[in-house]
Amino acid sequence: MDLIYARWIDAWSRLALAALVASFAAYVLGILDPLIPLERLPALWGLSAEQFVAQSGAPAGWGWLARLGQSDYLNFAGIALLATGTLAAYLRVLVWLAGRGERLFAALVLAQALVLVAAASGFALLH
Amino acid sequence: MEAAATAWWIWPLALFAVSFAIGIVAVLAGIGGGVLFVPIVAGFFPFHLDFVRAAGLLVALSGALSASPRLLQGGLASLPLGLPLALVGSITAIAGASLSFALPADALQAALGVTILAAVALMWRRPAGAAPSIRPDAISEALRLHGVFHDPASGQDTVWRAQRTPAGLAAFALIGFIAGMFGLGAGWANVPVLTLLMGVPLKLAVGTSGFILSVIDTAAAWVYLHRGAVLPMLVVPSIIGVMLGAKLGVRALARAPARIVRRAVLVLLLLAAFRALGRGFGLWT
Repeated sequence: MDLIYARWIDAWSRLALAALVASFAAYVLGILDPLIPLERLPALWGLSAEQFVAQSGAPAGWGWLARLGQSDYLNFAGIALLATGTLAAYLRVLVWLAGRGERLFAALVLAQALVLVAAASGFALLH
Repeated sequence: MEAAATAWWIWPLALFAVSFAIGIVAVLAGIGGGVLFVPIVAGFFPFHLDFVRAAGLLVALSGALSASPRLLQGGLASLPLGLPLALVGSITAIAGASLSFALPADALQAALGVTILAAVALMWRRPAGAAPSIRPDAISEALRLHGVFHDPASGQDTVWRAQRTPAGLAAFALIGFIAGMFGLGAGWANVPVLTLLMGVPLKLAVGTSGFILSVIDTAAAWVYLHRGAVLPMLVVPSIIGVMLGAKLGVRALARAPARIVRRAVLVLLLLAAFRALGRGFGLWT
């Protein structure tokens, strides 16, 4: 179980970091236009996240998906990959545990996967 | 105002340099980069605490994800031990992260200052070893939280059995909440709980802590992402800086006076804690 998890996390996080570095290079080198011009950032990064979203028109929730063509939000692809590696590895381990009839650990892994899916779904924004 | 008049690239460049330095000293001092990042960057950079906390979580997450495979493959971390603790911690991390956006910034700064003081107190003395073994509890038995830990350095095998599991789960609920609220890596709290409370061998605790941290931080990171608190201009230079610094730190580890570096870093953290407290109570703007 440990080795399967390790292999998946290793491959996934390497992919995520490569995507992050490539998209950031496209961002700072001006290969793609950003949603928020770089020169505007110092006036915005001292604001709270709520004020930042309101003043910059930045997307919240999964809205960044529609902005992947803009270099600042292209970075979110790498960040989202980084934040889904654990879930991917858990799902792979779940399949392995189910195949071996390890019900207790499978239930724990499934519960964890559901928590991560809930977090990724943005349910915590509901209040 | 002053920050807004500065060229945009000055602060990300400075952030990269500081993150690089954090990566080096984190390795030399044996302290997670995440716990250094938030108080130092929040204390000395013009970025809002929301963005710094998100970047801190992602820095800690990327470091933990990079280290976890080697630790698991080498038997220095235990997935079965980490599973229930990470599950509890990740649920409370989501709660902590969500609540943090409802709190006034001043209250959050003050609470961060108090948390860093507690972290420094815990880190000042490293746990020397596992707690003496007592009878394992029913949850530990049911979850099979036991095994034989092989230390590759000494070649010794140690039989271990987790104890006081209900108290351990409660402690990880608190750790997850704090990690989610402040964006701190939680190795400073994970390791003492695993060793001193649950009786896990120190090296296994350090390795498993990284795995637990990666799950807790993943859950909380989504909350920050959905809130619009993730700024790539802060996140990416920080991650790259800490990772490159950590590589240099590993090379320098054999020659550097690690004990002195550790104490110096803790003093710096104390300063950052007092600065956060000062900001929280309106004594320092």
